[in-house]
Amino acid sequence: MMKGGWFRVYTLGYLIFLYAPIVLLPIFAFNDAAVIAFPLAGFTTKWFTQLFDEPALRGALANSLIIAVSASVLSTTLGIFASRATTRYKFPFKGGIMGMIMLPLVLPEIILAVALLVVLLGIGVPLSLFTVILGHVLVCTPFSIAILSAAFQALDGSLEEAAYDLGETPISTFRLIILPLVMPGIISSLLITFTISLDEFIMAFFLAGTEATLPVYIFSQFRFPQAVPVIMALGTLLVLSSILLLSIAEYFRRRGIAKTGGKDTGGFL
Amino acid sequence: MTFSAEKSNMIEFKDVHKYYGDYHALRGITATIKAGEFFSLLGPSGCGKTTLLRTIAGFEGISSGAVMIDGKNMEGVPANKRPTNMVFQSYAIFPHLTVAENVGFGLRKDPRSAAEKAKAVTEALEMVGLKGFGNRAAHALSGGQRQRVALARALILKPKVLLLDEPLSALDKKMREQMQVELIKLQRQVGITFILVTHDQEEALVMSDRIAVMFEGEIAQLADPETLYRRPNSRKVADFIGTMNFLPAKILSEADGKVEIDAQGFGPITLNAEQVSGAASSTGASVGFRPETLTILFDGQTAPDRESMAVVEEVVYYGDMTYYDIKLDGSDQPIRLSMRNVFGRPVLDIGTRTRVAWAPGALVVFR
Repeated sequence: MMKGGWFRVYTLGYLIFLYAPIVLLPIFAFNDAAVIAFPLAGFTTKWFTQLFDEPALRGALANSLIIAVSASVLSTTLGIFASRATTRYKFPFKGGIMGMIMLPLVLPEIILAVALLVVLLGIGVPLSLFTVILGHVLVCTPFSIAILSAAFQALDGSLEEAAYDLGETPISTFRLIILPLVMPGIISSLLITFTISLDEFIMAFFLAGTEATLPVYIFSQFRFPQAVPVIMALGTLLVLSSILLLSIAEYFRRRGIAKTGGKDTGGFL
Repeated sequence: MTFSAEKSNMIEFKDVHKYYGDYHALRGITATIKAGEFFSLLGPSGCGKTTLLRTIAGFEGISSGAVMIDGKNMEGVPANKRPTNMVFQSYAIFPHLTVAENVGFGLRKDPRSAAEKAKAVTEALEMVGLKGFGNRAAHALSGGQRQRVALARALILKPKVLLLDEPLSALDKKMREQMQVELIKLQRQVGITFILVTHDQEEALVMSDRIAVMFEGEIAQLADPETLYRRPNSRKVADFIGTMNFLPAKILSEADGKVEIDAQGFGPITLNAEQVSGAASSTGASVGFRPETLTILFDGQTAPDRESMAVVEEVVYYGDMTYYDIKLDGSDQPIRLSMRNVFGRPVLDIGTRTRVAWAPGALVVFR
């Protein structure tokens, strides 16, 4: 075997482990049998038709979309403020404050979810889509800050000074110079937090009350064997839309870097 | 250089102090910059020259004192309301805009019609030698082109003062020298007061009408380039501007505008009182002189003034010039001497004994 041969085998094995289950999704989504097993029984699109006829699922999808849009907009807005503050200003306990904001990134989500549940019930907030949105903002904001502070960091501070120097106010400078230059980061943050919120399970499970989100609905459907192919069809659609969203996010991130003439120093993809 | 009988004061610093926490960045700056002058703030990094420039632009507040622009105290006037414009060290070209949009950026609130503004942008681009570049994307420009865009963007607003923060430091040597000449021409053409911050003494000498040399938050000397070069007021300034040789000296007597000194290698000499500068120091006096004020005498040449013997210790050949490190008889310290190379004249070897011509008038004594 040639040099690096074992490394190739390892890489191949790794990729198969990672992607084979995802590849199975569309295969069984179009398979004409209620049992998930080989050999395949034939081609059908009936699982997709069933999928769109299911009112509970449509409700869950609508819930998830409402939550994901709200959470991504809120967490990105908070992310803009925090990133601007942390890259531009010095203030006391900056490191500690930023660390606290970024903490949900590493805390077990179930701990956060249980803690939030206890607090919300304790102060008498009824569980609803709103409480899920709160939980998702908590989880999404650190991601938003990670993306946006890179975008703000890449901004040359003298661009702002140049705009003041040429007669602009701080507000018009933000609108004319800073916002357009960090816009790719904002779009990227919106898309990524949207994706995170859309498939988040634990927070939604604990905080949604009677309103199921899409992942919670999927989980509950696994109790019924006959529903599994429908879930496969749904999974296929979700994988496709996730790939699409992340690609768009990455496209904007790279374009932003090219536009400001910076160097690519990594990112999510 | 242009002289007119009464030029008004464009910038006045009145005992300006600036603290960053405990750090005393500007220590009582008092100076006046005239209208239409090409003025340089020269000094090593950390001397406060950029801070001082930024107090004019309004990017830095001051702790005490006053900064006046054209007779008006600028206290409380924000950067966007000051009659100054700045060319930044990084040029700060807006990367998401075209060249023309960059240059026209400051005209946003200008009441003129769009066509008139476009005309002004075209003229500004023409002035800096970027005719036809208007539609280019700003991020695709070279360093020299960015600098020109930054100049056009600032000058289109016809400011009273143009501030330049190390504008040439990012360019290569050839480009830098070319831009120096262009900046001088541009300044004469527009007649605006230019204030340049630089750490490059040569650049300051070439471009400025007057220079303020700064060390540690203070102006050490403020003078025209020739005075600064020929009569530096301290060893520190002398060291910073060009090359200067120093030899130990004793001041023997001072009377009637004359000073008698005994300098190592030169012996006892009488100088004019204005050749002596600096406050008394504990390290003892020294005599300073530039490398080009000493000349090696070849066979048959006679010194116009004084003459001493010396030994060549080191030879550095530069093509057009040769630098010799020599020791004067009676001195134990090598000094540098520069000679323009002339066709047919030999370059001396190390160890050669030679006659050297010098003139008392070219000496400066530092107490």
